[in-house]
Amino acid sequence: MNKKMAVVLALGLVGATARAQETIKIGLMAPLTGAWASEGQEMKRNVDLLAEQLNAKGGLLGKKVEVVTEDDGGDPRTASLAAQRLTTKGVVAVIGTYGSAVTEASQTIFDEAGIIQVANGSTAVRLTEKGLKNFLRTCPRDDEQGRVGAAVVEKSKAKKIAILHDNSAYSKGLADEINGILKGKNANVVFFDALTPKEQDYSAILTKLKAAGPEVVFFTGYYPEAGLLLKQKKQMGWNVPFIGGDAINNPDLVKIAGKEAAEGFQFLSPPVPKDLDTAEAKAYVVAYQKKFNEAPSSIYGVLAGDGFRVVAKAIEGAKSTKAEAVRAYLTGSLKAFPGFTGKIEFNAKGDRVGELYRVYKVARDGSFVMQP
Amino acid sequence: MEQFAQQLINGLAVGSIYALIALGYTMVYGVLRLINFAHGDLFTYGAYLGMTLLTSLALQDRFGLAVGLAVLALMVMGLVALIGVILERAAYRPLQSSPRLSAVVSALGGSIFLQNALMLIYGARYQVYPDVLPQATVSLFGLPVPVMRIAVVVVSLAMMAVLYLFVQKTRTGTAIRAAAIDQGAARLMGIDVNRVIQVVFVIGPALGGAAGLLVGLYYGQISFTMGWTYGMKAFTAAILGGIGNIPGAMVGGLVLGVVEALGAGYISIAWKDAIAFVVLILILIVRPSGLLGERVAEKV
Repeated sequence: MNKKMAVVLALGLVGATARAQETIKIGLMAPLTGAWASEGQEMKRNVDLLAEQLNAKGGLLGKKVEVVTEDDGGDPRTASLAAQRLTTKGVVAVIGTYGSAVTEASQTIFDEAGIIQVANGSTAVRLTEKGLKNFLRTCPRDDEQGRVGAAVVEKSKAKKIAILHDNSAYSKGLADEINGILKGKNANVVFFDALTPKEQDYSAILTKLKAAGPEVVFFTGYYPEAGLLLKQKKQMGWNVPFIGGDAINNPDLVKIAGKEAAEGFQFLSPPVPKDLDTAEAKAYVVAYQKKFNEAPSSIYGVLAGDGFRVVAKAIEGAKSTKAEAVRAYLTGSLKAFPGFTGKIEFNAKGDRVGELYRVYKVARDGSFVMQP
Repeated sequence: MEQFAQQLINGLAVGSIYALIALGYTMVYGVLRLINFAHGDLFTYGAYLGMTLLTSLALQDRFGLAVGLAVLALMVMGLVALIGVILERAAYRPLQSSPRLSAVVSALGGSIFLQNALMLIYGARYQVYPDVLPQATVSLFGLPVPVMRIAVVVVSLAMMAVLYLFVQKTRTGTAIRAAAIDQGAARLMGIDVNRVIQVVFVIGPALGGAAGLLVGLYYGQISFTMGWTYGMKAFTAAILGGIGNIPGAMVGGLVLGVVEALGAGYISIAWKDAIAFVVLILILIVRPSGLLGERVAEKV
């Protein structure tokens, strides 16, 4: 090798490490493209805004924070590549990602690299049951959602219950959870089946569903399909009440279904910032509105923001960016942190502690109203 | 029985959309032996352009609903055809003499480009059409059926009939059929094959765009990735009917739609696609070149 080139290379490497020490890098893995791109881009907005706010206040441990974003495309294979790229970029922690199956594909990569991962939308139970020491999540788990969901169904006093999922890891997991609880209480589940997401015409499914004669339908899928189901159910002239899971909390639901068809629909969700009375949450909604000209629409974007905030808090509290120290702070010292989605505390598994879910109902004007 | 009839209607509505898109696949394959993977995205462009024109021009207020929508449909079809022609020029013509695999890769590239361009222009969120269609239902054999559901089927069938007549009865149509049988021989007979290819890339995308507009108007919700799902189904329909065969694509689309709806209704919703594909495999075992055979055109 040419001597001059070696010198240049060496200098370059020195320069690179020197620069790396000037900032603390926090990764964000999000579905910026693909079918969940709207959620992913919302995640990026929240994390970027919070990083900006943090840097304006002087950053962390005297250094600026730099967000390194990688696109996982909402796809497990792309996610494992994105995760590998992030591990080579010197990030100390990674926020994300959204879908459970996608997160699962990246979990061990981050764990082996000794990088803290805080998922924001992956609610599948098994993710935190594997004993991975570097994994946490700001969203609740499906078994908790299952319990709350089953309780809402029981409260509706329906005698015949239908459960519909979309075969995704999250949706099927939640549907199984609810079905198990209801069966255990001898409820009459007359319908349990899955639709194919990303289609436009659900009339065949609704026709079959209607023939089963349920008094309430629990749909555990995502908001685009929920919106179409509500709209097409109304076109059929069938007014059975629908209940949904937390993946339906997105204002686009009402846009897709139309206000009339969406009215009265109920879903479960962690509380959105506008329903929290903390000063931080209120100020955040204002700042977000100012920067992006709209209120945060996705709860998962906000949960990604909360992930970023607890990681920042832990780095500051532990006065270190070492994974063990950050993890120890998050699961040990962090108590009742005022998140934008309620108080945040983690148990030893990396799950959030406490009852998070609220029941929301779509009002006549299309807004989501938290039920007491 | 009532459920059977209802599912049959559901299937026909979905199937006629599949058929419209399948025509684009089958025509391009017929002439170029190329699977145009970007065709599903042209369908999506139809849906998005339709939404933009519908909201910005409000033609339905100016000319009344029927005329307004007809004008809108013509505009959308024209614009999508233009995109189709540009796509052919940019992505396929330079590869005409290369191995077929290069063109397929180019088609996939075109698909990724078109899809992400749409995401950058409109954003990643779901878009929604304004409600312009009447919500009335009519009683058909004692079943309540939304009027628009019938309209979707009728409009699709009408467009397919026009296309069939065009291909069978006009000079250009004859040239298309000749180029589909043997490009070299067609050239020797004085047919401008490049021109034929261009015509194919006007008609296919225009029908795809019209299907996109129909889906947008009827279902209301569109997303930049919707072309993939519909594209796969329409591609399946084209193979089911016999790829390269125009009536085959129509029959294939309708059969696929009905099989899906009945499979979902009587066996299992979750296995709907599996049932459709099992039927496809069975048909291909019995008739390897599809329901109507690959090359009926030769017999004409």
